[in-house]
Amino acid sequence: MRAGAIFLREARLAFAGGGGPAAPAAFFIASLTLVPLAIGQSPATLQAAGPGVICFAALLAVLQGAERLFGEDVVDGTLEAYGLSGLPLSVVAIAKVLGSVLATLWPLPLVGLGGGIAFGLPVEAAGMLALALAAAIPGLAFLVAIAAALSAGARRGGLVIALIAAPLAIPLMVFTASAGRAADIGNAAASANLLLTCAVSLFLTALSPFAISAALKARLE
Amino acid sequence: MRPSGACPPDQGRLTGANIMFSYLANPQRFEKFSRIAIPVCGWLALALIAAGLWYGLFSSPVDRFQGDTIRIMYVHVPSAWLALALYFAMGGASFVYFIWRHNLADTAAASIAPIGAVFAGLCLITGAIWGRPTWGAWWVWDARLTSMLIQFLLFLGYIALRAAIEDERLAARSAAILAMVGLVNLPIVRFSVEWWDGILHQGATVFRADGPQIHGSQLLPLALMAAGFTLMAGWMVLYRMRSAIMARKAANLQRLREARA
Repeated sequence: MRAGAIFLREARLAFAGGGGPAAPAAFFIASLTLVPLAIGQSPATLQAAGPGVICFAALLAVLQGAERLFGEDVVDGTLEAYGLSGLPLSVVAIAKVLGSVLATLWPLPLVGLGGGIAFGLPVEAAGMLALALAAAIPGLAFLVAIAAALSAGARRGGLVIALIAAPLAIPLMVFTASAGRAADIGNAAASANLLLTCAVSLFLTALSPFAISAALKARLE
Repeated sequence: MRPSGACPPDQGRLTGANIMFSYLANPQRFEKFSRIAIPVCGWLALALIAAGLWYGLFSSPVDRFQGDTIRIMYVHVPSAWLALALYFAMGGASFVYFIWRHNLADTAAASIAPIGAVFAGLCLITGAIWGRPTWGAWWVWDARLTSMLIQFLLFLGYIALRAAIEDERLAARSAAILAMVGLVNLPIVRFSVEWWDGILHQGATVFRADGPQIHGSQLLPLALMAAGFTLMAGWMVLYRMRSAIMARKAANLQRLREARA
């Protein structure tokens, strides 16, 4: 079994049972729609809250599909097949996470762009926010994948995933939302925050596969 | 990563904390050690906290700016220190368990988690009680407060993960990985929270390069309470560890008896 095959299988699975990118994107749009209804329609409030609320809703959208990433593999024996394939489990982790990210999460920055404009951000600020979201999503997805691998096969795994991923997602939340906020008020710190988002995301993308592989290995013994 | 079962508990290299866990891995040695260490920690903690409370509540003067609310600090600061120290201890024990598979290290990490959560919670509650009269607000979103809240959540996540996985060995391995991931991420989380925030909370006051910026009459009860709280935490951790080991022994005996019957 090659890594490419795992990547394609993951992407096809996302379309087969979960509607591909539709579910996270629709969830993201639905949660953004609730925001003005909850906090009021004052343009100043919405513009100020916009970047943060959009990042927060994006995190929820990433969390939404997390449970099935490894949960089903542990139950139906696919994980054993991966273990016997001779591929390092960290490579399996990279292929799986990238497969599901590229199949399901690619619309999130676009929704973020539209949401930013709808919340009254200038187009440049919404664009900066979308860019920062695009940079943050791989890191977020790998982080959530650690939580998913650690709680695969657990009772009420989804709840545990959210609880252990939320505090670890703080740096990405802070830098992504700050990039959007700084761009909104025309502050030069926007690009610095974008770069910090990239740095944290790269750090998580590079190191998470090892944590995921350790978690999967514990489930194979 | 080595293949499963390649490393029996006593074969690891003897470095750092591993020496301690290697020595105590023998249940009889741990039993002997804990039989002395538990009462020593417990009574010393009681004596230090009693002295600290007396100095803190009666013998130390009222603060010029904060009035009597200063006395909350003698509980608040040791709790904050222990929440952080216990998180590092939990991460260290998890590391030793993950690499050398010492079951005792896992027992230690599992015993530390709820105690750390309680100290983090105590720090937050005492902080809120102090903040209301001093800052005029129960809670502000300041870097130090938020960091402590995150610390509390990290402990809760660890406890929830352990509780959610039924298989004991798998729960231990998963929790150890989570504790190590948390430890690696903690500096980034702290940095990002500091970046995000303006400063309201008082900065470092006691451990500074230019010496403590606190009056002696306040430093003495603070030091007594910090030492007392630390010993109390040690007492609780050891007590919980010994209880966990005994519970495991009892379960094994029960299984043996059922197998015979």
